Amino acid sequence: MIKLVRRNLLRNKRRTFLTMASLAMALFILSLLGVVNDAMSFADESEIPDRLVVRNAISLTFPLPEAYEQRLRTIDNVVAVTPQNWFQGVYKDQRPENFFPRFTVDPATFRSVFYDYTWNEEEWEAFAEQRTAFAAGRELTEIQGWSLGDVITIKGDIFPIDVELQLRAIFDYDEPGQERQIFFHRRYVEEAMGNPGQNGTYWLLLDDPEAAPAVIAAAEAMFENSDNQVRAETAEAFAASFTEMLGNIQFFFTMIGLAIVISIFLITANTMAMAARERTTEVSVLRTLGFRRNQVLGMVIGESLAVGVLGSLLGVGFTAVAIQGATPFLEQMGFGFGGFALDSQVLVTAVTIGISVGLLSGVFPAVAAARLKIVDGLRRL
Amino acid sequence: MAETVVQMRDVTKNYRRDAFELKVLQGITLNVEAGDFVALMGPSGSGKSTLLNLLAGIDQPSSGDLVVAGEQVSRMNESKLAKWRQRHIGFIFQFYNLIPVLTAYENVELPLTLRRGSRAARKRRVETALSVVGLQNRMKHYPRQLSGGQEQRVAIARAIVTDPTLLLADEPTGDLDADSGREILDLLGQLNEQFNKTILMVTHDPNAAARAKRLVRLDKGQLVSGDAGAGA
Repeated sequence: MIKLVRRNLLRNKRRTFLTMASLAMALFILSLLGVVNDAMSFADESEIPDRLVVRNAISLTFPLPEAYEQRLRTIDNVVAVTPQNWFQGVYKDQRPENFFPRFTVDPATFRSVFYDYTWNEEEWEAFAEQRTAFAAGRELTEIQGWSLGDVITIKGDIFPIDVELQLRAIFDYDEPGQERQIFFHRRYVEEAMGNPGQNGTYWLLLDDPEAAPAVIAAAEAMFENSDNQVRAETAEAFAASFTEMLGNIQFFFTMIGLAIVISIFLITANTMAMAARERTTEVSVLRTLGFRRNQVLGMVIGESLAVGVLGSLLGVGFTAVAIQGATPFLEQMGFGFGGFALDSQVLVTAVTIGISVGLLSGVFPAVAAARLKIVDGLRRL
Repeated sequence: MAETVVQMRDVTKNYRRDAFELKVLQGITLNVEAGDFVALMGPSGSGKSTLLNLLAGIDQPSSGDLVVAGEQVSRMNESKLAKWRQRHIGFIFQFYNLIPVLTAYENVELPLTLRRGSRAARKRRVETALSVVGLQNRMKHYPRQLSGGQEQRVAIARAIVTDPTLLLADEPTGDLDADSGREILDLLGQLNEQFNKTILMVTHDPNAAARAKRLVRLDKGQLVSGDAGAGA
């Protein structure tokens, strides 16, 4: 039986290969999507629900006045406020490996809100005292080969200035992705820009996460009649809006992935039905020889299942290999910052979908073959 | 006295086509003794193949009694019939119907894979069947590498490898040239004479029918001439 299933699979090698390859390709895209989703949700999970973000109501690209920091601090349940700005810029060149998030922060208040980073106190002091200092995550320093005291230059693009920075502190974080960014003094950039007195975002620490809705309402009401109205949201919602800014590619990918999986299911089902139909006489001959209905059923399903299993393995295998090459590109596109990995959940989902497609596409032709009357099958010569 | 392998009593077979009922076989009574070689002749549409299908248990009579190899064929369910076919019936098709992805050896081995038994025992039986049909040197050939006559001989080896009670041949020479057809008829004769196989062969060819021990004619679903067999 197994021999017959194997030989039948190889009967039309091109067709089997193309069916398997199309299934593998669909699962590759699906797995890649899963990996991207994971990278994005990874950023969400690292956020703590007791933090809120306040930004310009129009868009993230519009700044807020420096004076807002003091006013936000007066809201009930807000225990600390710190500014944070996306500097972007270019380090060395545009190659993906040289792309990492660069934020300007205020060392005086940074740790009161972002208390979950781990610092060496001496290094922190050195970083806080030197206006041209920068702090980097440990993972990033390992990737870039930086040591304390090293000087780097970031060429500005959003901000029309180049900054020369010296590494003074290396921080650790529970999630490795958070260790692939750098922080430096916002005051340094402010001065170089002629003190415009602006910040991109303000991060608020609450004494009670339950108070978040009230604080959001209060913050938004506070600046309702000003030139710069604000939008306050949880860190999670902020991450989501950051994704939105990227054009909601996640949703786009999901839809494409879904469409591909459905198409592949239909193609595979049709191919399996075609293969089974071509062998109607053979099935009847086997039954004349004494094969039972369920053996015929098992044979046809076994064949499509084999296509599903092999296609799945090919798909996830290809994903595992391709993810290495695709990671820098995806990071450059802004999907997560280093959290890419083909985890077991993505793997199991892809393989389950592949096997299900194989199984389901074989069921109908298998049932049809098993139910066909032998004499009718033999007549189709 | 020889054992009766086939006992048909007043067997009918009707097919419904839309509003019409087609009477394909009408009141067929026929006995076939063990070791007999019966040729079944008749014009197209006379019901020869239908009769063969009933005897093989791949179709069911509409009425009447049909006992083959001691079993009431019409009373068995699908699963029992499959097992019964495997044990008692060897079927030879006009167009050979070998599985193209299997070698001659594997095609002949196919019915044995449904049975218990060691691989060595299976191998012995397959090799014996292939040597009976004179193809012991073509075991690893695929059907596409064989001539029509050789393919039919593999099909005969597949039919006899389980040592069935009854061999049914549906126009076994119908797709062959004269020489190959003669070889196949020689082989069937040899199986009947030397191995005492009971054979029922449907044919259009009078020369083929002449090789049988007994001739039965069918016309419009009825037996019109020939010996219906002892006790019929």
